[in-house]
Amino acid sequence: MIDIKNLIFEYDRGIRVLDNISLSCKNGESVGLVGANGAGKSTLLKLLVGIADKYEGEIKVDGLDVNKKNISKIREKTGYVFQDYDSQLFMPKVVDDVAFAPVNYGFAKEEVDRRVDKALTQINIEHLRDRHIYKLSGGEKKLVSIATILSMEPEIILMDEPSIALDPKNRRNLINILNNLGQLKIIASHDLDMIMDTCKRTVLLSGGRIAADGDTREVLSDKELLESAGLELPLRLQK
Amino acid sequence: MSRLDNAIHELNHIEDVAGRDQWVNNIHPLVKLALTIIYIIIVVSFGKYNLSGLIGMAVYPAAVFILAELSFKDSLKRLKVVLPFVCIVGIFNPFFDRIPIYNIGSFTVTTGMISMLTLVIKGVFSVLASYLLIAITTIEEICFALRLIHVPSIIVTQVMLMYRYISMLIGEVERITKAYSLRAPGQKGIHFKVWGSLVGQLLLRSMDKAEAVYESMCLRGFNGNFYYSEKHKFVMSDIIYFAVWLIILLVFRFVPIVRAFGYIFG
Ligand SMILES: Nc1ncnc2c1ncn2[C@@H]1O[C@H](COP(=O)(O)OP(=O)(O)OP(=O)(O)O)[C@@H](O)[C@H]1O
Ligand SMILES: [Mg+2]
Repeated sequence: MIDIKNLIFEYDRGIRVLDNISLSCKNGESVGLVGANGAGKSTLLKLLVGIADKYEGEIKVDGLDVNKKNISKIREKTGYVFQDYDSQLFMPKVVDDVAFAPVNYGFAKEEVDRRVDKALTQINIEHLRDRHIYKLSGGEKKLVSIATILSMEPEIILMDEPSIALDPKNRRNLINILNNLGQLKIIASHDLDMIMDTCKRTVLLSGGRIAADGDTREVLSDKELLESAGLELPLRLQK
Repeated sequence: MSRLDNAIHELNHIEDVAGRDQWVNNIHPLVKLALTIIYIIIVVSFGKYNLSGLIGMAVYPAAVFILAELSFKDSLKRLKVVLPFVCIVGIFNPFFDRIPIYNIGSFTVTTGMISMLTLVIKGVFSVLASYLLIAITTIEEICFALRLIHVPSIIVTQVMLMYRYISMLIGEVERITKAYSLRAPGQKGIHFKVWGSLVGQLLLRSMDKAEAVYESMCLRGFNGNFYYSEKHKFVMSDIIYFAVWLIILLVFRFVPIVRAFGYIFG
């Protein structure tokens, strides 16, 4: 459960990045988050896990207020895939990075191994297991960064541009993976076709406000609405 | 491979070695940390003319090299940057401390030469011991051990972040220099006029990067503590390993072993 009420946020004083956002997502829901560059998608996701703070309004994750006191509980339930995969990965080897969360949550070795194997198999990257991260291609790193949060087996999944840098086959595979995950997911992306394939509901951000929130097909087929928010129709709906 | 690429490669190589499933790698990290500290204290505690006693202390690094099946040649290659500094430390001793002890032909050995040699060897042994610790223990294990002896978590976290961060920093330098040389073809090195802005860029980028990495760790359950599963409970072999080394080191410290061999064979 995610509950946001009258959220206002600014990085630098006077420039509102998010302006009076109210949004609520139920367990099991898949929500697409779309908007032009700089619309505030990443910022919204960061606020949910507390890596951007000092907001006005109310944010609740699973009934817990997002604040210093609750943040580690919230993070334990929430997997967050960075937009910039290069800064998400920091261990030398793929297997160590995927194991980082389960090890830190104190699981026994067998459980850590089980989770690592499962996450790698889910993403189809068992062959990268013992590779050095600094030698991977961009797309491979993206896949690894997704595996690092699947090994947490989180209750809530937040993804910032998950399909960026993926080739068509891996992108299709990612869509299947996302559709098989039963958790609450919020997916921020410019890949509107992927949003159509994975999310029933879509939230459109424009100028720091919610310009639309509703059924994905309706939101993403409204040419005027999208264009006023600086976007275009999904490729499959063009012409 | 460029020199920077090479540096990242080296760093990763050390971690690979440290993460191997060798017998010494699996000794409890606290035992290895404690032995390293004890070893360095003992080495430093030798008197400045006690060269023969000090040489016996080579037993520890030599044994670890063999137990861990490390390549001595590779290690020297890696240490070649540090060792000259260690040698410089003692360089003035022969000039100040010139009491002659004995002659080899027309060459007079003075106390200053002995004390210089002792100092250099102390430095080399200490560096070697620290290197060996890193080569048989992963950084997470070392941090875990540091926490066990109650080093404040803020310091331990700094150590780990720094270690994690070095290779990313080198990567960043490499990206910047590559981007520069692509747009300044035919130029050797980087023109001094842009040094300032490149360094500034590097600083900003690395601060961002450091923050992102730290965030990424926190989001995945890192809170300054280092958890390790049952792999890191003390077992009998850890205690034996520690006890045996402690005895050996103390014997080599207080019994003049090398001289004793001299008497037996000499
Ligand atoms: N650390 C920061 N400090 C100051 N301003 C920032 C910071 N991060 C982002 N911003 C600003 O906040 C606004 C929203 O940025 P955000 O990253 O949330 O956009 P986004 O919707 O994710 O865009 P994109 O599609 O390009 O990823 C932008 O105008 C950006 O310049
Ligand atoms: Mg973004």
